[in-house]
Amino acid sequence: MDSVSRFFAAWRVARRIIALTFRARLEYRAEFLMNVGIGIVWQVSIIVFATVLLGRFPGMGGWPSDAVLLIAAMRMLSHGLFVLFFGRVYFLSLFVQEGFVDGFLLRPMPVHRQVQLAYFPTNAIGDLLVGVSMFTGAVWSIDLDWTLPRIGYVIAGLLGGMLMEAAIFTSLSSLHLRFPAAQAWSIWTEELLATFGNYPLKILPGVISGAFTFLLPLAFIAYFPAAVLTGHTSGLGVPAAVAAAAPLIALAAYVGSRYLWKWSLRHYTGVNG
Amino acid sequence: MRAAIEARGLTKTFSTTKRQPGLRGTLRSLVAPQRVSKTAVEDVSFSVATGELVALLGPNGAGKSTTIKMLTGILTPTSGEASVVGTVPYRERERNARNIGAVFGQRSQLWWDLPARESFTILRDIYGVGEAEHAARLREFDDLLELSSFWDTRIRHLSLGQRVRCDLAAALLHDPPVVFLDEPTIGMDVVVKEQVRRFLRHQVEERGRTVLLTTHDMTEVERLAERVVLINHGRIVLDGTLDEIRQRFGGGWRVNATVLGENRVPCPEGLRILHEEGPRLVFGPGRGSELTPHQALKRIIECYDVADIAVEESDLEDVMRTAYLREAA
Amino acid sequence: MTATAAPTTFPRAWRTARVTPLAELLAPGRIAATAVRLGLQVFLVTCLWRALYAGTHSSAGLVKEQAVSYAVLAALATRIRGLDRGAGRDTVIQHIQYGTIVYWFLRPVPPQRYYLYRALGDQAYGFAWAAVAYALCRLTGVLQAPASAGAGAAFAVSLLLGQIVLYYLTLLIDLLCFWTIQNNSALLILQFAQNLLSGAYAPLWFFPGWFVAMSAVLPFQSTLNVPLSLYIGRIPLSDLPAQLAVQAVWVLLLALLTRLLWRRAAARVVSQGG
Repeated sequence: MDSVSRFFAAWRVARRIIALTFRARLEYRAEFLMNVGIGIVWQVSIIVFATVLLGRFPGMGGWPSDAVLLIAAMRMLSHGLFVLFFGRVYFLSLFVQEGFVDGFLLRPMPVHRQVQLAYFPTNAIGDLLVGVSMFTGAVWSIDLDWTLPRIGYVIAGLLGGMLMEAAIFTSLSSLHLRFPAAQAWSIWTEELLATFGNYPLKILPGVISGAFTFLLPLAFIAYFPAAVLTGHTSGLGVPAAVAAAAPLIALAAYVGSRYLWKWSLRHYTGVNG
Repeated sequence: MRAAIEARGLTKTFSTTKRQPGLRGTLRSLVAPQRVSKTAVEDVSFSVATGELVALLGPNGAGKSTTIKMLTGILTPTSGEASVVGTVPYRERERNARNIGAVFGQRSQLWWDLPARESFTILRDIYGVGEAEHAARLREFDDLLELSSFWDTRIRHLSLGQRVRCDLAAALLHDPPVVFLDEPTIGMDVVVKEQVRRFLRHQVEERGRTVLLTTHDMTEVERLAERVVLINHGRIVLDGTLDEIRQRFGGGWRVNATVLGENRVPCPEGLRILHEEGPRLVFGPGRGSELTPHQALKRIIECYDVADIAVEESDLEDVMRTAYLREAA
Repeated sequence: MTATAAPTTFPRAWRTARVTPLAELLAPGRIAATAVRLGLQVFLVTCLWRALYAGTHSSAGLVKEQAVSYAVLAALATRIRGLDRGAGRDTVIQHIQYGTIVYWFLRPVPPQRYYLYRALGDQAYGFAWAAVAYALCRLTGVLQAPASAGAGAAFAVSLLLGQIVLYYLTLLIDLLCFWTIQNNSALLILQFAQNLLSGAYAPLWFFPGWFVAMSAVLPFQSTLNVPLSLYIGRIPLSDLPAQLAVQAVWVLLLALLTRLLWRRAAARVVSQGG
């Protein structure tokens, strides 16, 4: 009972903070709308780019275009969800620099939560709008029978993608707590995800697709769930069962990243001065 | 001789848009913004002679920083004039830059990722200081501020005290005749503060620099300043030496005396017994009395058989508080 | 006072320019990390484009080797102005946020000149990296030679002009920071346009016709797409004068715009106090 009531109390506090930060963003009305607009334009341009490439280079490793589009769409939507719920962790080095983390450590709330509540992610709105539209389009156009299990699995796949991206960036942010220049690694990783996350990885040499499976678990974000859904489970580099378990693996990865985060915080030395 | 720093009728008014709450207000401020003007500094006039160290005091928000910014050329006054070593700072910025050095409290001008000594070399070349001159000056600063123990460490790894010492050295590298310091010792420990004060005193006395310093630290004012300019609500309230201020606002002294003998002589004229505890008496100035502590001492010793006596002058902080409050009224 | 102007200009420019490179050289970890990232990026994009072209011979006027060369050159070129000043609290927006921008106005170097020296230093250092990486890529056969000697020369000239355009675009973005600490959407628009429309992600040729037409009238594609396309021979040498002229026009326009904005920014500092 006690932990349940604590959960609700924490959720109430979080809700209040979100309402305040949201209203704060809304104060600069033009700014708010422009930020949403930019998010939309940015994601649309990525879609344009991806579909253009798809059109020009058909037959990616035996994957039909609508299946590849499903990969891109799932990645985009789970990315939008990631930005909404976990995105602030990407900017941790800025928080460290400005001494906010020191302040967070003094409050009776988990630091990770404070980081996420630090400001309202307006850009997530644009990301999600585009992600949802693209996902809806991909789901309509693909030639699949959407049975209940399939629907359940695609939702699990989306959530798994969100959690895997969160796991990646939370782990990287643990570096931010120690090295001011670690932000460069996060930026580069984000670029890699955006560049390579939309393709069936089997078109790349085994070394690379292996790296994107075991080193930087990009494959688990959208590639594996899409492969399982569309039945293109050959040449994945892992058994089909492992690919199907992507959402669970993502959950485990996220939990692991939170432990890494906690450990890293314990060894945080603070900003100088 | 012309004053090193001269401010005549400086006034600075800021105009900001007033932001209204709520959705309607936000829309209104987009279409027809309501402008509010705030006068930060009004008709400030004072001068600092060459080789003088003047402390600019005042409560927070009084306009000290704004005044300093106008004198360093960062802000252009709305009206009035300023001149520093004969140059108008906001008009001839580059020429003025060579004549002044500035340290703004917590803000460091040094490059975060480079060792301090490297920053000094960059500044040496920016200001065009000769190599020999630069080396000699660094040696001098090292003697006074002990910089060599950390000047090869990157600025980001220095403590606040170390960083401000480096900033002080950086501000003086090009031998400017005038130095502006905006709360330089804030947050420092007592040892470093004393070191910085000694350094500043040295710069004024041995090198003849003119220093204008803002601070909240009264010990600093006591130890360093010859003159004090008090600003409140954007206006000059007081401009004078410490003695003058004490005389005007610091009537509160106390004499603690331990007297012998049973019979109590009535309290001498011009004095008042504030507190009595057995043989220990605490005297204060009588109502409307202009008595100095020295005169009070004399009278007490004449009237009583004193075993022990001690004078407590009111502390500068109390004096200042009276000044701030009295002038605010 | 002016007697010392000549002797001080070069040492002052040199010292100022080398600030960012020096900071990076003093942190061997950062250099190693950059080398690793650059190497991996080149390797990855090479594989990606080779894989995409597995079933196709030519697309949008580019054959496989051209596309790969383009992608590798793009990865190298983005290194030129990609140094991390954020970690050193040295970006313009950080100076404005921390208030240390006031010192830029208190030194005998005009803030515009100081900015220029720093940018020159950054770009020269990045270029050194790119040049070394270029040599390595050529040696390992990852990168093709230019389409012809003329193409190589055209590439060099166009790249130089493109870097000048990039300098002004970055300056424009930085100048906008003087007005937009909280409101950064203008910044984001420009950054987004620069990232996408310069051709850094993929040759612009792959995009739909209307996209290519739109980007032709904007300055972003002249920073990367034009020089790179000249190198791989996608743009024939006969088009060179026209392309250079477009780049030169942008240099002029942006120079005037940024000059105006600097004046406004300085005026804003002196009226708001930084």
